[in-house]
Amino acid sequence: MKSGNQRLLNIYIGIVLVFLALPIAVVIPAAFSADASLSFPPKGFSLKWFANAWNTQGFWDALQVSLSVAILASLISLVIGTLGSFAIVRHRFPGRTLLELLFMTPLVFPAIVFAVALVTVLGSMGLLRNFWGLVFAHVIITVPYIVRTVGATLAEIDRSFEEAASTLGANRSKTFFRVTLPLLRPGLVAGAVFSAIMSFDEFTVSLFLVGPGVMTLPLEIYYYTEFQMDPTVAAISTMLIGFTAVSVVLIERFVGLRKQFRH
Amino acid sequence: MSTAANGSIEMTEHVLPGAPRKRGASKKIWKLIGLVAPGVILLTVGLLWPFATMLHLSFLDQFPGDASYTLRNYTQFATDAYFLGIALRTFALAIIVTVLTAVIGYPVAWFLARSESRWKHLVFLAVVSPLLVSIVVRTIGWTILLGNEGLLNAFLVATGIVDQPLRLMQSFWTVVAGMTHVLLPFMILSIASVLGKIDKSVLEAAAVLGATPVRNFIRVVLPLSIQGVASGSVIVFCLCIGAYITPIWLGRGHVTVMSIAIYEQMVVMVDWPLGSAASMILTLVTLAVLLIYGLAIRRHAKR
Repeated sequence: MKSGNQRLLNIYIGIVLVFLALPIAVVIPAAFSADASLSFPPKGFSLKWFANAWNTQGFWDALQVSLSVAILASLISLVIGTLGSFAIVRHRFPGRTLLELLFMTPLVFPAIVFAVALVTVLGSMGLLRNFWGLVFAHVIITVPYIVRTVGATLAEIDRSFEEAASTLGANRSKTFFRVTLPLLRPGLVAGAVFSAIMSFDEFTVSLFLVGPGVMTLPLEIYYYTEFQMDPTVAAISTMLIGFTAVSVVLIERFVGLRKQFRH
Repeated sequence: MSTAANGSIEMTEHVLPGAPRKRGASKKIWKLIGLVAPGVILLTVGLLWPFATMLHLSFLDQFPGDASYTLRNYTQFATDAYFLGIALRTFALAIIVTVLTAVIGYPVAWFLARSESRWKHLVFLAVVSPLLVSIVVRTIGWTILLGNEGLLNAFLVATGIVDQPLRLMQSFWTVVAGMTHVLLPFMILSIASVLGKIDKSVLEAAAVLGATPVRNFIRVVLPLSIQGVASGSVIVFCLCIGAYITPIWLGRGHVTVMSIAIYEQMVVMVDWPLGSAASMILTLVTLAVLLIYGLAIRRHAKR
């Protein structure tokens, strides 16, 4: 009886996993189709869509913008978020809970609301369709991922290590750079990688902030499909899936994904 | 002068027993300010100020230009049939998706939290990986599955169930499927994190006292895990009412929700006050949901 239930549960899990994986998995064979429409099963075999994606300048420009924004926003978030995490985890002060809550709002609040709110302010500052406006927006969006990961890592660090270092004669900065920082490194790396991925994939907020010359890759793909729905976008998607797979392996190796998804 | 004196009195009051001299305390305050300041500046400029501006704009009758205050931007969503329909569709979508993710996700969360299977880690990876794949990629995937030349239509035509490919895109239920797919991992992770904390001995105790597995589940496990379902529902609901790409791409202009209307007002019609009011409605609904959740959790904890 019990093993029957167990088998039923396993079958059910399998079905849900297929539901989760299928819309992503079908993209890969579709990219190799010889046919000009996004079809499944693919008709024939061809690499021409990869070549087409490779030779389209717009995708390269957008990739450059997306990568620059992701790297810059993550680095700025890393500094601000790590400082904030130290304050939240290691200090008790009035407004501490409020600060933590405000840091986390982008995780729960509808993205479209942020987009509109930011537009009303960035518009008056002339930062719409501007690279730095986009970076600024992405800092707000990525900082909760840093606060969450670095905060969780920081809370786990046993303070007796630091106390031991200072007892043994290390001064404050030496203790920080030789003890605290190395212990914190997995959290910093995972937080930075994760926030870079989130920035790279961001769609809704960027939609309001991009313009000619400042176009991110997800939006460039989106606008491409407005004109033609051919497997070129599937080819790019296939490359992005490969990129994601590498990132997952990296995060897994440094800290494990589990920490990133704690609520 | 007097404020500075008050400040120092307060500071001494906050010093913990056994802490070093007052100078150490004031140094600590400056350190704390240094840690907090960048974040506070970022959140003020990037979050509080934009929200205040949006709130202000939402009450103006025109922008830019000489404006006077009005409630018209808000009342339209209650009186105008077009906007009312959009609002109702948005919340119906969010409620349906929330319920679906909870029902579909619960057993998976159970497996992740309590199974001792050696596949557990792989299942976890398979659940979270979609979150890391670009939303654009996932949406293209749905197009390949459900498009006129997609997998599902190829299957239906090949098996002779239908003669002509069905128009599967452009419907409300396609958007429901897409949103469920995107948000399911959030629900699974929320429930699993709470289920994982339930002490095994509680279940054993109930079984020893004669509870059947079904009764054990309904009377013991479900009440204990309801907090996970609640927090997952809050996340899924709030993310769903603000989603843009899935409704516009899978609905192809036939499933207009709030976010699409907001984009139209802000970018196409350039009616910022109306767009701001629509965003404020979503903000208020989000705040209301969070408030109800907070109160429910507090009551739950008191029991």
